[in-house]
Amino acid sequence: MTEGVIYDRGYRTYEGPRRGPAGARRAVYKEGLRRVFGLGRKARAKIFPWSMMVIGVMTAIVIVGLHFAIGQAVGDAAPVELPRYADLFDAYSFISLIFIAYAAPQLLIPDRTNGVLSVYFSRPLTVNGYLGAKTLAYASVVGALYIVPQVLLHLGLGMISRDGFFSYMTDNLDILWKVPVTTLGFVAMHGALAFFFSSFVKRPGIASASFLGTILGANIVADQFARVDFPGSRFLTLIAPDQHPRIIRDFLFDRQGFFPATEAGFDAWVSAIVIAVFTALAAWFVHSRYRRLA
Amino acid sequence: MNQVVEVSNLTHDYGEVVALRDLDLAVPPGITGLVGANGAGKTTMLRILLGLLHPTEGSVNVLGHDPEAEPLEVRARVGYMPEVGSLPLDQTAADFVAYTAELAGLPPREAKRRSSETLFLVGLEEERFRYLGDFSTGMRQRVKLAQAIVHDPDLVLLDEPASGLDPEGREQMLDLIKRLGQFDINVIVSSHVLPDIERTCDWVVMLDAGNLLRSAPLKGFEKDSTVLAEVLERPEELAAMIRQRGIEAVVDGLRVVVGPGEGLEDAIVGAAARLGTGLVRMTRGSASLEELFLVNGGKA
Repeated sequence: MTEGVIYDRGYRTYEGPRRGPAGARRAVYKEGLRRVFGLGRKARAKIFPWSMMVIGVMTAIVIVGLHFAIGQAVGDAAPVELPRYADLFDAYSFISLIFIAYAAPQLLIPDRTNGVLSVYFSRPLTVNGYLGAKTLAYASVVGALYIVPQVLLHLGLGMISRDGFFSYMTDNLDILWKVPVTTLGFVAMHGALAFFFSSFVKRPGIASASFLGTILGANIVADQFARVDFPGSRFLTLIAPDQHPRIIRDFLFDRQGFFPATEAGFDAWVSAIVIAVFTALAAWFVHSRYRRLA
Repeated sequence: MNQVVEVSNLTHDYGEVVALRDLDLAVPPGITGLVGANGAGKTTMLRILLGLLHPTEGSVNVLGHDPEAEPLEVRARVGYMPEVGSLPLDQTAADFVAYTAELAGLPPREAKRRSSETLFLVGLEEERFRYLGDFSTGMRQRVKLAQAIVHDPDLVLLDEPASGLDPEGREQMLDLIKRLGQFDINVIVSSHVLPDIERTCDWVVMLDAGNLLRSAPLKGFEKDSTVLAEVLERPEELAAMIRQRGIEAVVDGLRVVVGPGEGLEDAIVGAAARLGTGLVRMTRGSASLEELFLVNGGKA
């Protein structure tokens, strides 16, 4: 017969380093990433976000494959212009919208509905620190959804380029800032709206539906304002949030798109201002809301 | 000895409603009970100590820091266990407690190690990798306690820690709180269940509708207890003699309830000797916190 011994390890004091508010913000950021990707959660929490990432990557791989296959078959005599960087934003725009509609509520709503904010704010963590870390987590995951496929596309096009990889890279240096700036526009515009709904709606599903409904509904309404003519109607074409990052993208990639705001005579600078104003208003609203909750 | 908490002229109002009114108190090291009925101002007091609410008037000092001016310094050294909710049900206990340790500034590896140790301490070592949504109420309360102490705070604020627990769970929670005192962790326990405070605390702060009724050691409450004296004859005369010394005495048959006050036994023995009556027995009745609270005007 074996004899068991119970050890009471008791309580040990901690004399090691304490990282203070910076450590707390880092923890919120890291936990935000884990929550969005379902890490440390049950398997079903991982299915949706990872599927979206895989679809985003696959989209880029398919485009590179198209370039390669058509380039092999017909060389430079391709009958249509093949999709490139600017088109890739369109190719997975629906995926990114769905992903944002999922990610933003996941970052904000469970902490409120589970009542854990009282624990978090009893630590060396301010409202600004908490919201800043959540925003950074959102920007990281959504930015990755936009950037990773673009990086794959860039590397893929470089590898199949007839001029050689390094030559392609040096010839397309502008991509290195155009893609991030365009991504910033999408991330900021959609994030502002998604965080706005997620800051006061209690159920993630309702926040997601409100976000998507507003994006789609505002596009339709703005389109109607572009068709009518009454005093001030042209300014109402600006209310569709989704068009503004696309207008900036078209400006940067030297393309001509048709959107209610451009039809009404507004240019990319106006869209940049609209994004900044939307983002500032959403930040103010979310911050005010969390000041009351803390 | 440095005080853990010092409060001077503290007033806090929510507009028309005054939650705390002109409080002056000092809380010594050890386990302190914060007692009061619902709405007495206990949670407001805890939130002020954490720097989450600012006093309308007066000053507060927690562990040598002003929580209004240095809230982050205070919160780095204080643990807090809220009364309601406060657990992410889709996380494992180990992940959540480690996360709260990181929120307090501990490096990730250290946070994980202390998470395991603390969950062991509260009796959840076997269950630490289970999701919190699968936990019973008692287990969840223990996780909440674990997150409050995982970062080795100097002071722990527990808001109704035994709330919603069955008798067995309540016993376990009270034992855990008493153990914190043995580990030299200062604790302030807010509760409206007075026997819980009596069992666990060294010091008690009584609040009633925002007013301070009492801030004193629990042992000192003995001076508020009464003595029951049973005599062979002439209880009325014995009571009268005791009353002449300014001590309250109430006759109930052959028994006389004397007090509260100090030196009761001496007064009874002296009066009985002068009267020449025989004392059958003399019993000191320990006044319960609840009785004292009711006497002081509270409605626990």
